[in-house]
Amino acid sequence: MKKMASLLLAMSLTFSLAACGGNNNSSESSNSGEGSTNTQTNAGTNVKEEDAKPVTLRMAWWGSQPRHDYTLKVIEMYEKEHPNVKIESEYANFDDYWKKLAPQAAANELPDIVQMDISYLAQYGQKGQLEDLTPYLNNGIDTSNISENSISGGKLGDKIYGFNIGVNTMNFQYDPELLKKLGVDKPSDDWTWEDYFALASKAKEAGLYFDGGMRPEVFFGYYLRSKGAHLYNADGTALGYEDDQMFVDFFKPLANLVKEGDTPPPDVKAQIKGLEDDMLVKNKQVGIWQWTNQFVAIQQVANRSLEMAHMPGPGRNEGLYLKPSMYFSISKNSENKEEAAKFIDFWVNNVEANKLIKGDRGVPVNTQVAEGIKSTLDPAQVQVFDYVTWAQENSSPMDPPDPVGTAEIIKLFAGLAEQMDFQKLSAEDAAKQFRKEANAILAKNKQ
Amino acid sequence: MRAAWKNHLTGYAFISPFVIGFLAFILIPAGASLYLSFTSYDLFTTPRWIGLDNYKEMFFQDSKYWQSLKVTLIYVFLGVPLRLAFALLIAMLLNTASKAVGIYRTVYYLPSIIGGSVAVSIMWRNIYGDEGIINLLLNTLGLDSIRWFAEPFAALWMLISLSVWQFGSSMLIFLAGLKNIPNELYEAANVDGAGPVRRFFGITLPMLTPIILFNTILQTIGAFMTFTPAYIISKGEGGPLDGTLLYSLYLFRQGFVYFDMGYASAMAWMMLIIVSIFTAILFATSKFWVHYESKGD
Repeated sequence: MKKMASLLLAMSLTFSLAACGGNNNSSESSNSGEGSTNTQTNAGTNVKEEDAKPVTLRMAWWGSQPRHDYTLKVIEMYEKEHPNVKIESEYANFDDYWKKLAPQAAANELPDIVQMDISYLAQYGQKGQLEDLTPYLNNGIDTSNISENSISGGKLGDKIYGFNIGVNTMNFQYDPELLKKLGVDKPSDDWTWEDYFALASKAKEAGLYFDGGMRPEVFFGYYLRSKGAHLYNADGTALGYEDDQMFVDFFKPLANLVKEGDTPPPDVKAQIKGLEDDMLVKNKQVGIWQWTNQFVAIQQVANRSLEMAHMPGPGRNEGLYLKPSMYFSISKNSENKEEAAKFIDFWVNNVEANKLIKGDRGVPVNTQVAEGIKSTLDPAQVQVFDYVTWAQENSSPMDPPDPVGTAEIIKLFAGLAEQMDFQKLSAEDAAKQFRKEANAILAKNKQ
Repeated sequence: MRAAWKNHLTGYAFISPFVIGFLAFILIPAGASLYLSFTSYDLFTTPRWIGLDNYKEMFFQDSKYWQSLKVTLIYVFLGVPLRLAFALLIAMLLNTASKAVGIYRTVYYLPSIIGGSVAVSIMWRNIYGDEGIINLLLNTLGLDSIRWFAEPFAALWMLISLSVWQFGSSMLIFLAGLKNIPNELYEAANVDGAGPVRRFFGITLPMLTPIILFNTILQTIGAFMTFTPAYIISKGEGGPLDGTLLYSLYLFRQGFVYFDMGYASAMAWMMLIIVSIFTAILFATSKFWVHYESKGD
């Protein structure tokens, strides 16, 4: 028995060691080596930087592979011009990015430069995680070619928590060759939701999916605006629409498309790991509903020419809006806020850098930069710029940034949409459940 | 006196790595989380005392909580027995094979070292994917593909099968136990004409009961805390229809996606209580089924 006991002990030790090894999964996708190769090549060009003290900045963003690639190049370019600055990058896809950022915020270890989204700006800004950028305007970040309107896109109250780095709007991006298989050359300029549902319902017969579904909070938000309502009320303490019928009118036909096999069911979407697996890229899907800045990347990965069509109407002018595609924020805990501001300045104002960025983070807010890079753009990128220019005249002002609790509401919404798409929950019941639970979340914002 | 003190000091020095680690990484954080479980804490602002509200919400309002508990219990009660049965089966096979045992042991143990890793979870996703190897096999046999990611239970099965596949550590412990069963018992049974089945249920199983108890407790605790595979296979969503929303995944979501660290802490303490209850039950019942050879010595 004694022998047995010692064996057991030895075994359990091995086990626990193995357990340690097994659980030690670092899913870290940080990368600091890539951009740090160059420190001394252009000593002559930057006289004033020569005796600047060395600075290390951390920068985090979300995105897909093409974005990671060019961002690293821009960082490299910046490091060449500022030999004293070294930038460590941390990047991930959108969903993982926020899961990574939250613990960093809790530990007071947010990166110096944080890419921010409109859904999280309030969450991080109002909870004291982000620096007010007002003092840096024209004092670090040159705003002479940037409109007041663009800058105020990052405003909450009287504080600017994020610097708007690009303008964005939404539309339908599709492969014209695949659309022809449904017997249509292009959706008409003033197509309606009925037109869309009718066209999409032909996809199954052609052996295709029509689209990859709609992110509920984004596109239902558009739909509500086009009907004169909003997703959230003005102070973010409750939903901003009264009639649940609108919810039903929007989601019921979408769930029906899934049921009929015209758009992919949730389990098929759950297996898509990145842009490379996207059904559109793999020639199995006609189009995709998404932000205009994402057009460049999907076009690049699909490697064939794609087109853009408007959002369905009626009420498109009221529904459509321009929004900051994303922000760069400076974290409150950063020890190098001036240096971080200088990098943001470089990002928004440097023409050469923007020739690499190519509007992937939205059409540049600096009008001269936007003009300056246009001649170097691919046709697909010009399409995006033109589309946003068109939308400037054909849209309405955006809603205020999303209230605190949005992360929970997005999850709730996604869960309900999944149940509807699996045909386990009727749109009517989902509407009631959404109202009840979303209002409970938003009620926490009442003071 | 001084020499004695020095002696003690040496002792303390030797245990200090553990003591410091235990305090810094286990006891103090655990204490903090107990406190936080009675607060509303969003990670950014100071915790606000709300008494038992988190626990009340958990029990009476949060249907997702009960869903995650249900999923976890199914996972544990199917996964652990299957894993142990599988481990015992392989251990018995290895106990008979003679020469290559060393290699087999290593090979079978490997999955449990790498099983918790991200890469294996991703591989598992692909194996069960719509165009994965399992559906390919089903198709070659003339059967229809199974949409593993569409049915909540099918998706949970992916996780259970991954946990069964990581049977290595239990297997090693069983193997050690099997080697410790005196051969005379089998010889005597042979003489009396007992067949293999009889020998298994009459000798092997009773003699192994202490080890079965040990393995069951260890594996049950581990299974309750499973996180990585559920996180990777469902891309952090616990889908489809919350079918793989394991307890720890939901806890993580409350803490780091919804920024409700107080609620997450309360969930962690409920988990501790639940695991303790199951462990206590196992111990309490053990006197009815665990056979200790050395009893009465």
